[in-house]
Amino acid sequence: MALELEFICPLPSGIHARPASALEEVVRQFVSEVTLLNRRTQRQANGKSILAMVGTDVRLGDTCVFTVSGSDEQKAIDGLKAFLHDKFPHCDAPLTAAKIETATPLSPGLRDAGAIIYRGQPVVPGIGRGRGVQLGKFSIPPSLPRNGVTDTEKEWRRLDASLAKLNMAYDHRLVVAKGVEAELVRVHQAIARDVDFQNHLRAAVTERQRTAAGAIEEAETHFSKMLAASGNEMLQERALDIQDVCRQLLREIYGDAVKTDAVQLTAASVVVAESLTPGQFLALDRKFLKGLVLASVGGTSHTVILARSFNIPTLAGVTDLPTIQLGGQEIVVDADAGALVTDLTKAARRHYTLEERRIAGRRMRLEKLSVSAVTTEDGQRIEIAANISTAGEADAAFEVGAEGVGLFRTEMLFLDRPTPPDEAEQFESYRAVLAAAKGRPVVIRTFDVGGDKPLAYLNLPAEENPFLGRRAVRIYPEFETLFRTQIRALVRASTAGKLSVMIPMIATVDEARWVKRIIAEEQKKCAAKKIAFDPAMAVGAMIEVPAAALAVEALSRELDFFSIGSNDLLQYFMAADRMNAQLGVLSNPLQPAFLRLLKLIADAARTQKKEISLCGEMGSHVRFLPLLVGSGLNKISAAAPVIAGLKAELSRLNQAACRQLLESALQCATADEVNALLEQFLSQVNVPLLETDLILIDSDATTKAEAIKQAVDQLFIMGRTDNSQAVEDAVWRREATYSTGFGQGFAIPHCQTNAVRFNSLVLLKLRSPVAWDSLDGQPVRVVILLAIRTGQASTTHMQVLAKLARKIMDEDFRAELEQEKDAARLGAILQKIF
Amino acid sequence: MKLVAVTACPTGIAHTYMAAAQLEKTAKKLGHTIKVETQGAMGIENELSQADVDGADAVILATDIMIEQEGRFARARKIQVPVQAALKDPDAIFAQLK
Repeated sequence: MALELEFICPLPSGIHARPASALEEVVRQFVSEVTLLNRRTQRQANGKSILAMVGTDVRLGDTCVFTVSGSDEQKAIDGLKAFLHDKFPHCDAPLTAAKIETATPLSPGLRDAGAIIYRGQPVVPGIGRGRGVQLGKFSIPPSLPRNGVTDTEKEWRRLDASLAKLNMAYDHRLVVAKGVEAELVRVHQAIARDVDFQNHLRAAVTERQRTAAGAIEEAETHFSKMLAASGNEMLQERALDIQDVCRQLLREIYGDAVKTDAVQLTAASVVVAESLTPGQFLALDRKFLKGLVLASVGGTSHTVILARSFNIPTLAGVTDLPTIQLGGQEIVVDADAGALVTDLTKAARRHYTLEERRIAGRRMRLEKLSVSAVTTEDGQRIEIAANISTAGEADAAFEVGAEGVGLFRTEMLFLDRPTPPDEAEQFESYRAVLAAAKGRPVVIRTFDVGGDKPLAYLNLPAEENPFLGRRAVRIYPEFETLFRTQIRALVRASTAGKLSVMIPMIATVDEARWVKRIIAEEQKKCAAKKIAFDPAMAVGAMIEVPAAALAVEALSRELDFFSIGSNDLLQYFMAADRMNAQLGVLSNPLQPAFLRLLKLIADAARTQKKEISLCGEMGSHVRFLPLLVGSGLNKISAAAPVIAGLKAELSRLNQAACRQLLESALQCATADEVNALLEQFLSQVNVPLLETDLILIDSDATTKAEAIKQAVDQLFIMGRTDNSQAVEDAVWRREATYSTGFGQGFAIPHCQTNAVRFNSLVLLKLRSPVAWDSLDGQPVRVVILLAIRTGQASTTHMQVLAKLARKIMDEDFRAELEQEKDAARLGAILQKIF
Repeated sequence: MKLVAVTACPTGIAHTYMAAAQLEKTAKKLGHTIKVETQGAMGIENELSQADVDGADAVILATDIMIEQEGRFARARKIQVPVQAALKDPDAIFAQLK
């Protein structure tokens, strides 16, 4: 008797290749027949075929039914039920669509440069310059026969053997592939061993006398059409994955005969293709790959996701692509502006020289920030560290200025594999992070698995309430061998740097004592075996269970430091599942009671003279920083991309003021009140209008457009805007009413825009005067750019600017500005009137 | 002469104040007294009262946009010029007063 299980699809992108392959993995464990029916489309599929399940076009909210029949049907239903409840809603998380932004107006310097410009949608930001290399579409060489096989059995055996070889090749690649690439190989492998895919190939050969090439061509067309018919952009893009598998399969069978478009890049290149399969992308030499231009739009194709992960500037949706003949000329893909630029003129090259200067300037400034430790404006030192999940991320984190690793989540080492990592593999990973840290502190968290991160090899039964169940430190005694292995790897690695070990989900002193005992025992064993280790290795705990938050004093007798895991602490404290968007109000860290809890933890740790940090999501929001600084934390650990921003913001904050802010926030009744208070505080953070680095005394701008661009770019370099194009655009919109060149060689371009973070003034002295369409018709030698943040107009800055505007009408003042050649002294002249 | 003026430019960041300074400077040079109200990004500053307006010989409106409280000047002798005129050739504006 067949069993049924009905469910509603919770995935925003529906059941595409990735969730389907996760479902298939579950179904494959049972011998029973499993079919999936989408009630909306009435399409039905074999649960052991990823492609067929994808073909049912399940979208968010569709009601679906699994029908299971066979000897182990009850077990299969239970397994599916547990999977649908625990894992399925989250199985699609990391493959979020690469964001597609709408094109911004072009900078006049580019617009009027006389080069040919094709507009497209930026999918990976950045600018790449290189020889244009055009790649053709996927096709099977016409020379290969498609039909007329006599010994169909033999032909199928040949094809079947190639499928097996391809499968092995994928296994080999999985050993070295990482991250997105590994994800991709898994999807391709799943397609290659898909029941429907294989059945289709077999039928083409045995029933229709197709050759292997003919069968592959037929399967490729069939499944691509099926995906195209789904009406779902994400599914349509999976057609590229099918093409890839078919291409690889062809190569297995025919070898070099199908080397159709393998392109060898030999110099800096921008690759232009109507569409590019992920496999084609990976085959390109990334040393020379400077940019990518695609005709097809789509933010979710694996090619785009790969391009993003390798940071290759990419432009999509360039519809004119088929008609463009590049002939090997130098081209620019400008994904920041949403443009492909060909037939470069002198002016266009000049524009991109300035662009390169802008990007390099920002990078150099970040590097400068990254080497320095930061304090608050009033001298309070707070360490800004990085959260990482793999050893490979450490270098990049230090490059952007991390002062240490505040959280290395080791569970990534344990997830998605049939057996746990052994001691040697773990040791190597921990040692690598410590080596990358070069003496900076590294906090490694022991594995936090169970709950939402189940491991197949632990065989933990599904729980009603996984977040309140057996996870992290709670399962260590049960899997003591696994835990001891990790501890041994950590103890051995401790000589490689400044290592601290952190335990997740500590709720009681008993748990802390147990962990300490295991560590002490493993250290003793190492000592007995004459294995070197650091006996002073610190041991601390995550504070994410409210009980621990109230036991800091007692825990301090066992542990050396604490780190607040704000995500879990918040959800446990508010009793609100953080995955449930409808409970968003409760999951707001600005809830006054939660802030009170943070302060209580920080105060308790300080009283006990223990280091207290925060490594949760809350620390990744630059906006929340004043409240965290006010609570007296010693360290904040966050994702690498926000580190430079956190450091810059920290240097602007005053700890005493932040403390007062937190005190006031604690008096608030609601999160909204706290938010309003924070907003007010942030609007008053005193960022000076002018700093010496905003004064350029020897600009080589040759036109008004270049001068405006250079002035705006300086705001970008100094981190005062993240969108120079929008600021430039605002300046030009003002310039359109009438020229800001007011005569006597001076111009005062200005704008009000949200694209600048702070009110700013840039002073540019030009090496040679440029035409500005001035009131007196004279060229301009001195440019003063005023960029005002919308909504911050009524502050003291506006009074300063008004004073400056009046002063600039004074001849003597202008003469003083013209004569002074030193940036710092020019700054002082301007400061005098402030 | 006893004059009052209002300056107001499109963004209210620079030219409003540049024009105000220029009018004040020129008035002083020519021996007039002047009170200049600015309507910029900070709102109205150095606001003219009805008494200021009524007591003045003329009003100079160096404005590119609609101004606030225009009613104050309903009965006054007005000279309307673009903001740029106040920057470029303020003497010419004052010449119109004769």
